[in-house]
Parts: sequence; C-alpha cells; structure tokens
Amino acid sequence: MYANGFLFVIIFLALGIILPVASLMVLGPLLRPSHPTAAKTSTYESGLEPVGDARARYNVRYYLFALLFVAFDVEIVFLYPWAVEYHALGLYGFGEMILFIVLLFIGLLYAWRKKVLEWK
Amino acid sequence: MLFGIPITGQTISYFVLALIIMISGVMLMSLNKVMHMAVALGGVFLGVAGIFILLGADFVGMVQILIYAGAITILMVFALMLTQRGDDTASPSANGWRTAGVLVFVVLLCGAFLLVLRGTTWPVSQSAVNPYSQPTVNLIANALFHAYTVPFELVSLLLTVALVGAVVIARKEEE
Repeated sequence: MYANGFLFVIIFLALGIILPVASLMVLGPLLRPSHPTAAKTSTYESGLEPVGDARARYNVRYYLFALLFVAFDVEIVFLYPWAVEYHALGLYGFGEMILFIVLLFIGLLYAWRKKVLEWK
Repeated sequence: MLFGIPITGQTISYFVLALIIMISGVMLMSLNKVMHMAVALGGVFLGVAGIFILLGADFVGMVQILIYAGAITILMVFALMLTQRGDDTASPSANGWRTAGVLVFVVLLCGAFLLVLRGTTWPVSQSAVNPYSQPTVNLIANALFHAYTVPFELVSLLLTVALVGAVVIARKEEE
C-alpha cells in the first residue's frame, strides 16, 4: 500500500520529465522551421537590446521576504501531517491548528506593523 | 539476480536514486558557476529525499523536499542574487601532482570501504518484517496532535519568536 502510493509519484515524475523534454527537444525541432539569424538567437529582453549579464544584483530588501518564507515553510511541515490525518483528528485537531496559525499570524502582523512588507 | 542483488522495484529505485545523488554531487563539485552549483545541490537533496521515502520514512522525505530542496536551496540562490557578483569562473588549475593525489586518495578510500564492508557481519532478522506497514505521517500526526499538544503549540511560539527576531535583526542592519 505504501509503495503503491509512491508509484503515482514516480509516474507523475516521469511524465513531468518526459513531456517537456519530448516537446522541446524532440517534437519541436522536427515541426518548426529553423532559419536562425543573429537577431533571432540573441537573448530576449522585452524587445530591448540585452544589456549586461543575467546575474544582476538584486535589492537587499528581498532577503527579508526570504527569511519570512523560511519561517512559513517550517509551518507547512506541521500542516502536512495535520492535513493527512484531518478526519481522524476531528474538531480538537482543528482547534489546535487554528491556535498554531493564529500564533504565527501574530508574527506576520508584527512584520506588517514594522513595515517590512512595504516597498519604499 | 544480478551480482547477488535481487532485481526488484526497490533495488532499481535505490540505484537510480544513488545515481542521481552521485551525478548531482559531482556536478556540484565540478561546475564553475555558483548559481549552477546551488541547483545541483537541490538535485542532491531531492535524491536523498527519495532514499528516505524508499526506506519507509515518508515524512522525513517530505520534510527533506520542503526544507532542504525548497527553503535552503532557495535561500542560497537568494543570497547569491543579493550579493555582488564576484569572479566565480576561475577554478584552481589541475596539475599533475593534484590529480595523482586525488586518484591515490580515491583508491585508498574505496579500499578502506571495501575492507570495512567485507569485514563486518550484517545481522539479518529471521522473522519477516514489513518495513512499510503504515505511513509514518499518520503516526506522527497522532503523536503530535494527541500526545504532544503543548510542545506543538510551543513550536508555533518558537517560530513566531524566530520571525520577530529575523525582522528585528534585519531592520537594525538596515539603519
């Protein structure tokens, strides 16, 4: 039963890899006409002439969003077993999870009040 | 049977996952650009998650995907995008002595591993054990939400403190 559950994961994984590879690398080159010019092969940058490297330096303010993301990612770890056993846990488990989320929401409210989420 | 190893779904998955981990690991060490290395590290984490799931620890596997392949790799990519781009294309040139040293070390390491693996007796349980009796997620959920309610709620407090702490430290550095 356990192994069968993950058989679907393997099937989806295989499909997820095969479909883009087949369409982009096998079917695409067979179907599309290919007349490359220097302008066509250059990197697309919203129709403008590409400037510099793809790796530009991003604003440091994004790092706060990354830190908030990690905190909420850890929250997801606890939501996952709760969601799997949702029916067995019943109302008690629901109340527990509401308390858990409310406590974390206070942290988000703090970040909001401190204007971390705002863009100056 | 191939080299004394039974060919089942388990062994095939194990060797495919081991191959993914090793290829990603070698790519991690040999790629020149730091950003590509971060993505290769994500490949290693995903392969290890597959090994966890194969061993019957599905919850640990999911956590591996969520935290390591998700958060840690993304955080690394973020840190790389935020920092000034240095000269990351230069790699130490491989000279003859270095290559010879690496080869000798690899041979010695493989020999030591083989010696240890051959010399150890691996106890095999006589009674039949079903490693996949129940998904661990259900067991963990029942333990977490019935037996350990208070520690679970304290974890949310800890996470909130971590969140507030991150905001405070980041704001202080900004000023």
